[in-house]
Amino acid sequence: MSQAIDINVHHVTRVEGHGNIVVRAKDGTVEKVQWQVPEAPRFFEAMVRGRTWDEIQPITCRICGICSISHSLASVRTTEAAMGIVPTEQTNKLRLLAHCSEQMQSHSLHVGYLVAPDLLGVKSVVPLVSTHLDVVKTIIRIHRVANRWSDLIAGRTTHPLTLVPGGFPIPFNENDLRELKKTIVETTVPDLKAVADVVLSVADKLPAFERPTEYISVSTPDYYSFYDGDIVSTDTDERVPTSEFERVVNEYVVPQSTAKYCKWHRDSFAVGALARFNNNADQLLPLATSIAGKFGLKKGNCNPYMNNVAQIVEMVQVCEHTLQLIDEVLTAGLKTEPRKVEVKAGTGVGCVEAPRGILFHKYTYDEKGICTGANICIPTNENHANIQKDFEALVPQFIDRGQDELTLLLEMLVRSYDPCISCSAHYLDVKFV
Amino acid sequence: MNETVIIGLGSPLMSDEGVGVHLLRKLEARQEEFPGVDFVDLGTAGARVLHAIAGRRKAIFVDCAFMDEAPGTLRRFSPDEVQTQKRLPRMSLHEGDLLKFLELSRKIGEAPEEVVIFGIQPESLEQGETLSLTLASNMDRYIAAIAEEIRAADA
Repeated sequence: MSQAIDINVHHVTRVEGHGNIVVRAKDGTVEKVQWQVPEAPRFFEAMVRGRTWDEIQPITCRICGICSISHSLASVRTTEAAMGIVPTEQTNKLRLLAHCSEQMQSHSLHVGYLVAPDLLGVKSVVPLVSTHLDVVKTIIRIHRVANRWSDLIAGRTTHPLTLVPGGFPIPFNENDLRELKKTIVETTVPDLKAVADVVLSVADKLPAFERPTEYISVSTPDYYSFYDGDIVSTDTDERVPTSEFERVVNEYVVPQSTAKYCKWHRDSFAVGALARFNNNADQLLPLATSIAGKFGLKKGNCNPYMNNVAQIVEMVQVCEHTLQLIDEVLTAGLKTEPRKVEVKAGTGVGCVEAPRGILFHKYTYDEKGICTGANICIPTNENHANIQKDFEALVPQFIDRGQDELTLLLEMLVRSYDPCISCSAHYLDVKFV
Repeated sequence: MNETVIIGLGSPLMSDEGVGVHLLRKLEARQEEFPGVDFVDLGTAGARVLHAIAGRRKAIFVDCAFMDEAPGTLRRFSPDEVQTQKRLPRMSLHEGDLLKFLELSRKIGEAPEEVVIFGIQPESLEQGETLSLTLASNMDRYIAAIAEEIRAADA
């Protein structure tokens, strides 16, 4: 193979937050393979320093436009951990309901807007309207229900209002929950089955690439968790309390990347839907289990492209879990509970599984409830090293495919992780015509 | 659901990038003056635009915009008057382009009859929760222009 490969996928923006793919090869010899990303956005940590306990969630919920609820929950739980506040059972269940809606929102967007066009052979979701209108409408309907579900439970999706330390102010009633349950059963679950069938029919377009990988997530004996439990890994039986996350993420610096890498038992690890699946698949509910079975997705899968399939499985899982949670809340009766916050000094860690993987916040408060230090560890940063390691294994294996196909494979690989590389780059950039 | 929706976009953690959200908050505080209008803060949540505008008669967007103008300049335009200059590699959901979502909304037959965008040329995209002096000193002028648009929609 004498073809020269020169791939430069550059994301041009005026503000920080971008990812570039750079590959150079000559005569079948790989000279350079890089997933380039800038330094982590540490400024959020500086922003919360000096602020009072009740000002932190309104700031951190804006870190990410997609994961506003996850950052809110991590933030609120961090403040509660620091001040020794224990939320009620109802509060935890209502928070879980909000969290499930965000997994649905994010996964449906990712599978529908980023992955489906690749599998169906078009450049983006817009041309998909002409070729697969029903698929696009189904995806939008799933995302729309998830969006309304977030608005209902969290008060609103951007800057959630009900996710506050010490309680859960309830802006809905029991009938709203019954309606939500009906919509999920009658609309969303059938829609998800339809999407799963479409993806299954083109699943052979997901590249057959495997690289043994360490997968890290939370896990609890009680259920397939996005929220509770300890940190677990596919490489070890050890269960690490989330308060000790810093000994798991182990940030380190390498010469070829400006972003810090993370590692635990290997040079890198992966977080996200496939990581959760690989650790907790035994706890999936029946329909989610059957969808995984249709795709032949089994524990121990180490094909990063299958993260997309794991997301489909998880969408079904959060629907099933939500139906259970609603039943439990309705059986107990929805109660107005007083919000309780007793401000005190302390350090706490809050952890949730954001759609992209395990997310940690850590704050220290003084006796007046003013934040004196913060550390926020986001899943995208945890995955950067793993993307690089995937690149290094994938390029030599697929180098004979030529420049265009290799570029697509690498782009699809990055897409499968859906890195949070440019939340800040949403502004309009226009030319008048 | 009201016939008209006004949507603020942007990240209020990045100074002028968040001008749309700052303006929305100020207008929402006066919402009794604007019956028949919904106020929606969408932050940087790209695709949620589709749901916020579906089935409305009119949508008004307020956003930070690079328009090759002097910082602080406000321009009112429709999506048909502009071409996007963004070149996104589509590697992440976190990249968004309002114009693409409006196009998608139109293609699936959900777009409002009228879409108006108020773009404000930023001076600073530095980290910070406050606007640059240039934009901050023009807020009253921006609010007056958007309020007039809302009243026109209501009339």
